[in-house]
Amino acid sequence: MGKPTGFKEIARQDRTYAPVADRLTHYQEFVIPMTDEAVSQQGARCMDCGIPFCHQGCPVNNIIPDWNDLVYKTDWRAAIEVLHSTNNFPEFTGRICPAPCEAACTLNLEDEPVTIKTIEYSIIEKAWQEGWVKPQIAEHKSGKRVAVVGSGPAGMAAAQQLARAGHGVVLYEKQNRIGGLLRYGIPDFKLDKKVIDRRMAQMRTEGVEFKTNIHIGVDIQVKQLLDEFDAVVLAGGAEKPRDLPIPGRELNGVHFAMDFLRSNSHRVQGDKVENFISAEGKRVVVIGGGDTGSDCIGTSNRHGAASVTQLEILPRPPEQENKGTTWPNWPNRMRTSSSQEEGCERMWQVATKAFVDDGNGNLAGVTCIKVEWNKDEQGSWQMSEVAGSEFELKAELVTLAMGFVHPVHEGMIEELGVELDGRGNVKASTEGSNAYKTSIDGVFSAGDMRRGQSLVVWAIREGRQCARAVDEYLMGSSDLPIW
Amino acid sequence: MPSTRSIAAVLTSQATIEGAGLNEIAAEAVKWHDKAYGDQLIYKRHLDVGGDYAYRLRGEDHNWTPQTIAKLQHSVRSNDWNTYQEFARSINEQNEILLTLRGLFEFKFADNPIPLDEVEPAGEIVKRFATGAMSFGSISYEAHSTLAKAMNTIGGKSNTGEGGEEPERFNPLPDGSRNPERSAIKQVASGRFGVTTEYLVNADDIQIKMAQGAKPGEGGQLPGHKVNQQIARVRHSTPGVGLISPPPHHDIYSIEDLAQLIHDLKNANPNARISVKLVSEVGVGTVAAGVSKAHADHVTIAGYDGGTGASPLTSIKHAGSPWEIGLAETHQTLVLNQLRGRIAVQADGGMRTGRDVVVAALLGADEIGFATAPLIAEGCLMMRKCHLNTCPVGIATQDPELRKRFTGKPEHVINYFFFVAEEARQLMAKLGFRSFNEMIGQSDRLDMRKAISHWKAKGLDYSRLLRKPEAGEGVAIYNCEGQDHGLDKALDKKLIELAKPALERGEPVKIEIDIHNYNRTFGTMLSGRLAEKYGYAGLPDDTVYIKVKGTAGQSFGAWVTKGVSLELAGEGNDYVGKGLSGGRLVIYPPAESKIGKAEENIIVGNTVLYGAISGECFFRGVAGERFGVRNSGATAVVEGVGDHGCEYMTGGIVVCLGPTGRNFAAGMSGGIAYVLDEQGDFSDRCNLAQVELEPIEDEDIALEELDHQGGDLESHGRVDLSHDMTRFDALRLKQLVERHLHYTNSEVAKRILDNWSSILPKFVKVMPVEYRRALKEMQAQQMVAEVESKGSH
Repeated sequence: MGKPTGFKEIARQDRTYAPVADRLTHYQEFVIPMTDEAVSQQGARCMDCGIPFCHQGCPVNNIIPDWNDLVYKTDWRAAIEVLHSTNNFPEFTGRICPAPCEAACTLNLEDEPVTIKTIEYSIIEKAWQEGWVKPQIAEHKSGKRVAVVGSGPAGMAAAQQLARAGHGVVLYEKQNRIGGLLRYGIPDFKLDKKVIDRRMAQMRTEGVEFKTNIHIGVDIQVKQLLDEFDAVVLAGGAEKPRDLPIPGRELNGVHFAMDFLRSNSHRVQGDKVENFISAEGKRVVVIGGGDTGSDCIGTSNRHGAASVTQLEILPRPPEQENKGTTWPNWPNRMRTSSSQEEGCERMWQVATKAFVDDGNGNLAGVTCIKVEWNKDEQGSWQMSEVAGSEFELKAELVTLAMGFVHPVHEGMIEELGVELDGRGNVKASTEGSNAYKTSIDGVFSAGDMRRGQSLVVWAIREGRQCARAVDEYLMGSSDLPIW
Repeated sequence: MPSTRSIAAVLTSQATIEGAGLNEIAAEAVKWHDKAYGDQLIYKRHLDVGGDYAYRLRGEDHNWTPQTIAKLQHSVRSNDWNTYQEFARSINEQNEILLTLRGLFEFKFADNPIPLDEVEPAGEIVKRFATGAMSFGSISYEAHSTLAKAMNTIGGKSNTGEGGEEPERFNPLPDGSRNPERSAIKQVASGRFGVTTEYLVNADDIQIKMAQGAKPGEGGQLPGHKVNQQIARVRHSTPGVGLISPPPHHDIYSIEDLAQLIHDLKNANPNARISVKLVSEVGVGTVAAGVSKAHADHVTIAGYDGGTGASPLTSIKHAGSPWEIGLAETHQTLVLNQLRGRIAVQADGGMRTGRDVVVAALLGADEIGFATAPLIAEGCLMMRKCHLNTCPVGIATQDPELRKRFTGKPEHVINYFFFVAEEARQLMAKLGFRSFNEMIGQSDRLDMRKAISHWKAKGLDYSRLLRKPEAGEGVAIYNCEGQDHGLDKALDKKLIELAKPALERGEPVKIEIDIHNYNRTFGTMLSGRLAEKYGYAGLPDDTVYIKVKGTAGQSFGAWVTKGVSLELAGEGNDYVGKGLSGGRLVIYPPAESKIGKAEENIIVGNTVLYGAISGECFFRGVAGERFGVRNSGATAVVEGVGDHGCEYMTGGIVVCLGPTGRNFAAGMSGGIAYVLDEQGDFSDRCNLAQVELEPIEDEDIALEELDHQGGDLESHGRVDLSHDMTRFDALRLKQLVERHLHYTNSEVAKRILDNWSSILPKFVKVMPVEYRRALKEMQAQQMVAEVESKGSH
């Protein structure tokens, strides 16, 4: 398999981005795909490890060495079949996954991992192009009906798998379009929404019924679903954002990141938006250094912000991780996202003390303080403020991108009375005979709603595995794969 | 593991631990069928991945997984006991994934555990640990020497593996201290590569590898592209020429033969323990009893688990059996036959954790061998690309660029072994054992785990495995006695005494002595003492000149070093010149012999010059079978050979002045042979798979060139001739025949020389194809180098 000496002969090559000045003028994807030939060469770099750490490092356990080899041998058709066997939506992960597989690649020991994500992207895009992605309509219908609440990646994956197992599936979404965070959280310039529409068309043919603008627990009581369906999957995500309850929180111009991003995405996709949050001409401060923070930066710059500053409370990560004690795990290391590259000032070890009022209830600035991190006697990290290090940043717009604490409890979850875990997520395990089962018979949960905020790829995994659990529950056994 | 009943239905054998019946086997087949022909989408167009040889989540379960490897490596690199414990837990706890027999054991802990600080310290336990026999050649210098440094630091033992060891690694440091890169265990495997006298005397243990747990009954081979200059040097072979380790030892066809090899090696190095490596299988107990009776000091029972990435795919799995089975049988048999005390028993094959160590001790092991786990500790990722030379972590590769990627440190390996020992101590405390010795063979402290839920494991029965043999009063159940090797009766004791001037001051001595066929292994102990002092280089030729008279026993002249000449008027037996390391052996019938024509009679027995490294032999008469088998570099003249002459030869020169048996040159990858083919039918008896037959051309020009250099054929000319094996054949051959005449007064030699020009065309040169290619490549490289060096001036 593969080319044994490929990794020594062929240099790592990856997709590139369009120039910053160019891409800032629009909301379209700006990653430049590679030619089939170039991707095929990259496939030759895979060493077909006896223990492929990428296969384990990937949350959906993509069988990466197999399709790397198939791409090297230009058998793209077999490659998409192997890829689809573990991942319902490689077009999503091929675009926005942070690629823990590449961190786990044996060649990452030398910082030269196989460009797995690009290969994945190339396989699925080629497959769409060639018309190889066809609906897989169940040969037999079970006569069972399943409601999936929430149409993010977990809900979509569960719905597709269940439909393929022959169940009647209705996918509920409270927004006006399917996709959850894929639709309105992740900006269009990172994930073109046609990609979701394309996949929805396949799912519709496979028998998934999409119902949008229905907020379960608000528009319809969840009890109604329990009566109408044989099983219910809760895949509503972890949408409760972490707040920053400091003086001035109520000022005009202080927003949760997701409100800012959602309003923008609606507008980009052609919806009329009331109370649109614009960053145009404003000095923007993004609080939180994660992916959502980056999305705020990219969006602000496209709005035409005067400046963008990103605050992170943790120290600046090291440029290079210690491979010996981190690989094949995801390393904490300095990374610069495409949005950060487009222009922003990044500050580390900064805590926010207050939002400054311009006198009219509008935001005028942010009072900050430097912090230090030291280990206490028990060896856990403790933060302390550096006395006298206060400073102020002028700002007219702040987005709070400090993560999500747990699912929204009001509405569906409270009405159901389903048991929660210590962190406020819907309680369910992922292994054994009770996998994905909540405390209520016939009610399952998957994705961020069960595990808390996480990656799209984890949501896909949970959706798939949950579908198997539901299938087993309904039918007594299941042919759907665990992996 | 099938059950006895299901075996009896098809075979006549017995199952040690019982197991699945035909019903379970059928159920599994049905399961496979369902997968292949059922409704599962993922198998609609693709076969089940299997995952036997490359880990796949959908496939076979493995002990070494991304998680266990990462945990082990992270723990040893940061000396983090907690992470090690997580690693050990995931290996030890096999609740649903049943991968080892010991995974289904449970301990019967003591009612009153003892405090941990009363248990033998970890620093003592690690001395019982050894690393596996992985050769330098199969793994890089960096990987190999890191294991050695680690084991030398903790007082354990590392193993050379097959293929010798560079003197730079075992010679003492300039300050006289012990070399940290020295491998304490020197392996003697069927290929005998690099097994010089010097190698043997620099060992604490000499391990005779009868077989390998991971590929029992199979030989091995090092592909030509892995044989670089350095490896060729330590193996005394030619760079670029592939090396084959034959499946059997050609000097061992019976337990008596094994006893002879043990005796030979003990003679070469009386201070070393002689160890025999066996493979776990049903019936190994009987073999081990024989090994103990054959005076081995140590026996290894190697299990199938673990195993090399370079093994043939057919052997990586399901060849051999678990060490638990072989170890239990070995220990029980040795105890019942009162042979246990005089031999140390080592278990090896997939040892990973302290729990494994304790289980092995309870089943009867004094010592424990680890191979894969310490390799992983120093960076191995189980790429299973060992045979491709592309190991990306610089372990199983000789590629200089890839070797730079090696990041292992001796400390990593040391940390690993201390973690293992510490985990073992904690279990010993719970079991109530203060010392390791107390624990050995206490198999009644193990039980089969209750409530095994796995559908295939239900029929298992461990009672035979866990039976504790009744040992009478005073019968030792662990290694606490020694073997009597009978060395005090050796003639070499006398030789050493008489050769004192040479041993101490390098002065020439002449010795005359009588020999009888009960005097086995002659000249070997003396050579060992010389090698200790003078190394492989030895002393000038003939410094110790021993004239011997009579009928020699087996292994006459084994491992005789440079500077020692044995002239035997009489006859040799089997194994003459085994491992010859530079000495000269001359054997001819005594003048008063009434046998008639020497060239029509056997003068030396079978398997002569097996594994010879260098030196010269002149035998006036015919040799038995397998003459020059695995010869690496000795030169020999003989007047006829039996079947399989020059088998697996990799270097040296054999001149045969008479007829040969069949299958000559089988597996011969190097060296050359000149055969006098007066009947013209040699090609029928030569195995032409790897060699070609050539006439010997009279090279006038070559002769002239040499004459200009002085024409001193005895010294100057000889050096030049051995330099280029692709030319000067006629000259080389003539010299050797002349010397044969000189040393043995051979009538055949005289006849040939008297009729040189008419007989020369009847000689055939046997030339291995790969060897010729490698020699030509080396010449080309040399010429390029010469041109370049001239150009730079």
